[in-house]
Amino acid sequence: MGKPTGFLEFTRELPGKKPVSERVQHYKEFTELYDGEKLNQQSARCMNCGVPFCHQGCPLGNIIPEFNDAVYRNDWEEAYAILSSTNNFPEFTGRICPAPCEAACVLGINQPAVTIEEIEKHIIEIAFSNGFVKPRKPAVRSGKKVAVIGSGPAGLAAAAQLNYAGHLVTVFERDDAAGGLLRYGIPDFKLEKWVVERRISLLEEEGVQFRYHAHVGVNVPVNDLIREYHAIVLACGSTVPRDLPIPGRELKGVQFAMHFLKQQNKQVAGKDAFADAETESNIYTGADQCAW
Amino acid sequence: MVFKYQKAFGYSTEDLDTIIAPMALDGKEPIGSMGTDIPLAILSEHPQHLSHYFKQLFAQVTNPPIDPIRERAVMSLATFAGNNGNLLLEDPLTCHSVALKQPVLNNYELEKIRSIDTGLFQSKTLQCYFKADGKPGSLKTAIDRLCRYAVDAVEDGFKVLILQDRAIDSDHASIPSLLSTAAIHHHLIKKGMRGQVGIIVEGGDVWEVHHFACLIAFGATAVNPYLALSTIRDMMESGKLRTHLSEDQLKKNYIKAVNDGLLKVFSKMGISTLQSYQGSQIFEIVGLNKDVVDRYFTGATSRIEGMGLDEIAREALSKHWLAFSRRDIPSSRLPVGGVYQWKQKGEFHLFNPQTIHLLQEATKKNDLQLFKKYSALVNDQTEKAATLRGLFQFKKNRPAVPIDEVEPAESIYKRFATGAMSFGSISWEAHTTLAIAMNRLGAKSNTGEGGEDERRYEKMANGDSMRSAIKQVASARFGVTAMYLAEADELQIKMAQGAKPGEGGQLPGHKVDEWIAKVRHSTPGVGLISPPPHHDIYSIEDLAQLIYDLKNANPKARISVKLVSKAGVGTIAAGVTKAKADVVLIAGYDGGTGASPVSSIRHAGLPWELGLAETHQTLVKNKLRSRVVVQADGQMKTARDIAIAALLGAEEWGIATAALVVQGCIMMRKCHLNTCPAGIATQDEELRKRFSGDPDKVVNFFKLITQDLREIMAELGFRTVNEMIGQVDQLEMRPAIDHWKYKNLDLSAVLYKEPNSLYTGLYCQEEQDHGLEDNLGWKLIEDAKPALDHQAKVTGSYTLKNTDRTTGTLLSYAISKKYGSAGLPDGTIHFKFNGTAGQSFGAFNTKGITLELEGDANDYFGKGLSGARLIIYPPRTASYIPEENSIIGNVALYGATAGEAYIRGMAGERFGVRNSGAKVVVESVGDHGCEYMTGGLVVVLGETGRNFAAGMSGGIAYIYDTRKTFAGNCNTEMVDLDPCDLSDKNELFTLISRHAEFTGSTVAKFILDDLDNQLQHFVKVFPKDYKNALQVSKQGASVHKK
Repeated sequence: MGKPTGFLEFTRELPGKKPVSERVQHYKEFTELYDGEKLNQQSARCMNCGVPFCHQGCPLGNIIPEFNDAVYRNDWEEAYAILSSTNNFPEFTGRICPAPCEAACVLGINQPAVTIEEIEKHIIEIAFSNGFVKPRKPAVRSGKKVAVIGSGPAGLAAAAQLNYAGHLVTVFERDDAAGGLLRYGIPDFKLEKWVVERRISLLEEEGVQFRYHAHVGVNVPVNDLIREYHAIVLACGSTVPRDLPIPGRELKGVQFAMHFLKQQNKQVAGKDAFADAETESNIYTGADQCAW
Repeated sequence: MVFKYQKAFGYSTEDLDTIIAPMALDGKEPIGSMGTDIPLAILSEHPQHLSHYFKQLFAQVTNPPIDPIRERAVMSLATFAGNNGNLLLEDPLTCHSVALKQPVLNNYELEKIRSIDTGLFQSKTLQCYFKADGKPGSLKTAIDRLCRYAVDAVEDGFKVLILQDRAIDSDHASIPSLLSTAAIHHHLIKKGMRGQVGIIVEGGDVWEVHHFACLIAFGATAVNPYLALSTIRDMMESGKLRTHLSEDQLKKNYIKAVNDGLLKVFSKMGISTLQSYQGSQIFEIVGLNKDVVDRYFTGATSRIEGMGLDEIAREALSKHWLAFSRRDIPSSRLPVGGVYQWKQKGEFHLFNPQTIHLLQEATKKNDLQLFKKYSALVNDQTEKAATLRGLFQFKKNRPAVPIDEVEPAESIYKRFATGAMSFGSISWEAHTTLAIAMNRLGAKSNTGEGGEDERRYEKMANGDSMRSAIKQVASARFGVTAMYLAEADELQIKMAQGAKPGEGGQLPGHKVDEWIAKVRHSTPGVGLISPPPHHDIYSIEDLAQLIYDLKNANPKARISVKLVSKAGVGTIAAGVTKAKADVVLIAGYDGGTGASPVSSIRHAGLPWELGLAETHQTLVKNKLRSRVVVQADGQMKTARDIAIAALLGAEEWGIATAALVVQGCIMMRKCHLNTCPAGIATQDEELRKRFSGDPDKVVNFFKLITQDLREIMAELGFRTVNEMIGQVDQLEMRPAIDHWKYKNLDLSAVLYKEPNSLYTGLYCQEEQDHGLEDNLGWKLIEDAKPALDHQAKVTGSYTLKNTDRTTGTLLSYAISKKYGSAGLPDGTIHFKFNGTAGQSFGAFNTKGITLELEGDANDYFGKGLSGARLIIYPPRTASYIPEENSIIGNVALYGATAGEAYIRGMAGERFGVRNSGAKVVVESVGDHGCEYMTGGLVVVLGETGRNFAAGMSGGIAYIYDTRKTFAGNCNTEMVDLDPCDLSDKNELFTLISRHAEFTGSTVAKFILDDLDNQLQHFVKVFPKDYKNALQVSKQGASVHKK
C-alpha cells in the first residue's frame, strides 16, 4: 500500500477522456492514461487490507494489494510480475472487465473504491512500453500436442498456459482472425484490435500456432484432431444469442445485438460486412454488457 | 540463485515484505493487530516451518516478566563459543573461546570464526542434509549420521561445530535447522560432551525472531542467517526496499531487530541473559509425537503427540520440491503466504471474506439462518482444520430435549462478556457501543486497560448505560482511581493477554489525543507504555494481596484474574483461586490485540482448549472448583465454540474480535496505525465518523449465538448451562481423521474427566471468603459517619500492627460511592495511626482522607493513591536518623493518580512506578524509581538507586543531589536533567514546606532555611516527551494529529 494515509488524502479519480467532438469522428478508445503523479496517488488509496475483499472478488485471484504497492513504489517490473502471475491478459481485463474487484473494494464501504482496473491497465501498458513483456518460452518441450478449439480469451489463456507447460499448441479458430469476442464482439472503443493483435503475436512468438477459417466439425474433421493431438480443449465461447420472445419480436429491424456487434467490428476493421445497420431504426436485443 | 534457495527453505512473499523488509528498514520487529485466526501448524495444509510447532512460554504469576527496553541495563546478549571446560576448575585453556556480544553473525563474522586456526581453537563445519527420496527413514538416517559426525568432531578436538545447510540439490534436502541443532545438542548431552563445544547454526531457514529463539533455546550458541541476509541484499538491489540506506546498514538494522526481538522473548519468561536462555527449551511443542520429542527435544513440554520424523521430512520436502522439482512448471514467484493478510491461495483463515460478510449480514438483519450459514463455515473443519475444537464432535448419547425446556436466553446472556479492548486502542464510539449493548443484555463489557471517562456512569436519556461492568486493572494502572474501582461489577487483574503474553503494551503517541490522555491521566501526544509485569505482583502472595486490595476498594465487585493458556496454567489457576479470586479467565493465544509484535501474536501462548481443560481438571482435583467462576475466551465465534468451552469447564465466555466484526470491523489489521477505515480502532476524528456499528447489531449477535446454543443444548439433552459445565465426556474426537499430519494427535488429556467428589461441584456454587471482616476499615467507616453523612470534619486515633493491611481502602469505597471522584473536601477526615502498617497502607484512598502514621509501613504504601494525603514519620521516640533508615517498603505509590504523600525516611525499590498525578516528597528511594511515570511530582531529598526515570514520559521529579551521583543513576533515555528555575523553586518550596510541617523533617527544615543556596543541588528530571507536549500546547497548536 505504500501510504497508510493515502485513502484519506486522495479521492478516486478516473483518467480523462478525449473531448466528445473528437470522439464522434472515430470508433477507437477514448480514455487517456493517468500522468505519473495521479497514478501514484490512486495506488496510494489502497489500504492493503488485512482481508483484501478485492482479491477475493477477482475471479482470477489477482493479488491486488501487492501490485498496488508496487505501483506506489514505481516498481513497474515487480508490478508486472505480480499481475502476470495470475493474469494472462491484463491488457484485456484492464479495459473491459466489469471489475468485481472494485465492487468488493473495502474502501468502497464508505468511500469511492480504488481504481483497480485502471491501475491494472496502466501496469500492463507501462510494461509493454518498457519492454518487460517478453515471450514466455518453455524451458523444455514435453513432446505432447494439444489442440485448442476457439481463440477467445479462454482458448488463448489455455493455449498460453499449455505452451508454457511445454506442450505444442495449435489453436483452431473458425473466424478469419483470432480473439473471439475480443475481436468480433467487443466494440473498438472499448478494446482496440491492435491490442488483441499484440497479444496474438506474442503467443505466436512463444510457439503457439493458429489456424484460421478452421471450423472444427465443419471443415476440420474431429477425428483428425483426435488422431493428431494428445488432448483437445473445447473453448468455443458463447456467441449464441439469447432470444427475447415478446410481441413485436418478428418485426423487421429487430436484431440480435451479438449479430450486430460482429458486423460492426468487421466494418471498423475495414472488412466486408453487410450493412444491416444502415436501415433507419433498429432495435437490438441483448443482455448486460452486450447491450452497451 | 537466492530465489531458488528461498523457495527451498520455505520463504513466502509475505516473509519478505512483512517481516524481513521492515526489520531491515526500521531495525524493529513488525507490529500486527487483531490476533491470529489461522490453523495451528499441526492442522495446516500449508508447509510449515518446524519452529511453528513450538509455542513460546512466558512467566505468569510465578515470577514477573522483565521490561527488555526500559530495563535493558540488566539484560545481556553476550555468549561464548568454545569449550567451557570444567566449571569447577579454573584453567587458562578455557579462555580459548570466542566471545560474542550478540548471537547473530553476519557472513564475515562467521567466516572469521570458521578460519580461526590457532591449534587451540578450530571449528568444524557439518553438512545438514537428508536424501530427498521421500522414503521412510531417510531423515532419521541423516540425523543419526550427523550426530555421529558431531561426536567425532568433539573427540577430534574441534571447539565449535558449524551446522551448515547450504549443500542442497535435487537429491538432497536440508534438515530443518531446529531439528539438526536440537538433535546434536541432546546427543552430545547424552554423551557427556556438550560442554566441550559451541554450536553455530549457518541456516537458510532462519529469518524470524521466533526461529532464532527456538534455535538458541534448543542449544545454539550463535546463528548466521545467511539466506535472510542475502535476501536483504537482493531486495535492495532489485529496488524492493525504498531506501537510501546502504546494504551494510540494512543488515545491521536487521540484526538489531532480531536482537531486540530475542531480548523480548527472554524477558517474557523473566530471563535476562542469553546464556540463561540457551538450552532452556522454554517452549511447548504442539504437534510432534513422543518419539521425536523424547529423542531430539528431550524434556520439552508436549501434551498432544502429533507428527513423526517421516512427516517432518514430508513437510520439508514439499518446500524443497518448489525449488528443485524436475517435473513441475517452475514458479516465478514465491508462495504468497497469506498468514498476515488473507490470500486466495494462502493460509486458511477463520475470518475470511465469506465469514466476515455472513456474520455482518446476519447480525444486521437478525437472521438466524444466515447466522447458521456463517457458523457452518467456521465450524465445519472436516476439510480445513483450524482449531483443536474442530477435531471434536459431540457424543449423541443423551436423549434430546425439546427446546422449550432449555433455560431461557435471558438467563444465558449474563454469562457473556466482551473482551478487554481499551478506550484508546478503539474509539469512543466502538467502546461505548459495546458497553451499551452488553448492558442491555445484562451481560458485561470490559474497559480494557484505558480507564473510563466518568460521564459514562450517568444513565443515558433513553435508559441505556455506557458503563463498563468489568473494570480492568492492568500493569499500567491507567485510570485506576478509587471511583473507577467503585463503579464496577467486576475488577479484572490482567496478568497477561493472549496476543502478547508476558509483554507490556504500547499505545503510540499519535493515538493519544486530549481525551485519551485525560482518561488515562497522561499527556496528549505522549506514547503510553504498559510495563510487562505488574510491579506489585512478583509472586502469588503479591497477587493475593492485590485481590484483597481490590476487594476492599469495592466489596461488591467480583475480583477476576486473567491468565493465558500454557502448560501449567492449571496450577496457577489453583493458586489464584486459593488467593481468593472470584473469577479466573483463561485466554487463548490467538486472542486479538490493537498492537503486538507479529511473532508474539503467532507464536506465544497456547490454545484455550488446552488451558481450560487443564484448569478445570486441576481445580476439580484440588476441590477448588466450586469456589471460582471459570471463564474462557480467544477467537470464539460460534455457538459450537461456546458449547465446547462449557463442556470443557467454562461457565462464562468472552467474545471480542467477533464483537468488533459485528460493529463493522473488516479485519483491516491496521489498528496500530490509527487508520481504521471503519472508525473502530482509531482516534482520528474523520475516521470515527465512518463508524457504522450500533448496539442493536451487537445485541443481535449475542441473541443469535444464544439461540443457536440453546438448539445445541436441546440436541445434546441439556436443560441448563450448569448441567453442561465440565461434562467433557460428551466430547470425543471425530472418527476417521486420516490426514497425514494430524491423524496421530492425542487429545485424551483434554478430554479427560477428573472425577469430582460430593463436596465440590463442577462450577461455581459458593462465594470466596475474602476475610474482609477483620479489616480496620469497618471501624474507620463507622467513626467517619459524620463526614460521610454531612461532610463534618472527623478525627480519630488507632494502633496498627503489620497484619492490618489495606488501611483506609474500605472507607475510600464508601466515600466514592456517595461522592464520586470528587470525594470529600481536603482534610475532612484525619486519622492518626501508631505502629507498623501492613501491606497497601492507604491503597486507592480518595480525596478528603488524610492518614497520618507514626511508625513504619510495609510494601505497596499508597498503591493507586486517588487523592488522599498520606503522612508517615518514625516514632518521635526513635533514636535513629530517619533519613538514613527505611520507613516504607517496596513498590510505593504504584499507579497513583492523585493525592499527596510525605515520607520521612527511605523508601524501597520501584518507588512511584506509574505515578500519574500524585505529589510526593520522600527522603531516598531504591532502584527503578519513577519508572513509567506519566504525571505528578516527586521530590527525593536524598539519593536514588539505579535506573531512575526509566520509561518516564510525564510529570516531573526533583532530586536533591548533593553528592552529584544522580546522573550516573538516572536512565536518561526519555528524560533531560535540567537545573531548577524560579517556578521550580516555588514548587519545591511549597512541597518541602508541607513535608516539614507534616512530618517535622529536619532535612526539609535544613533545605528551607537555605533554599536559595540549596537550590543548586536540585536536579530537575524533565521527560522529553512532556517538555515537547508542553511547548506544543503553549504554541496553541493542537497535539492531536491526523
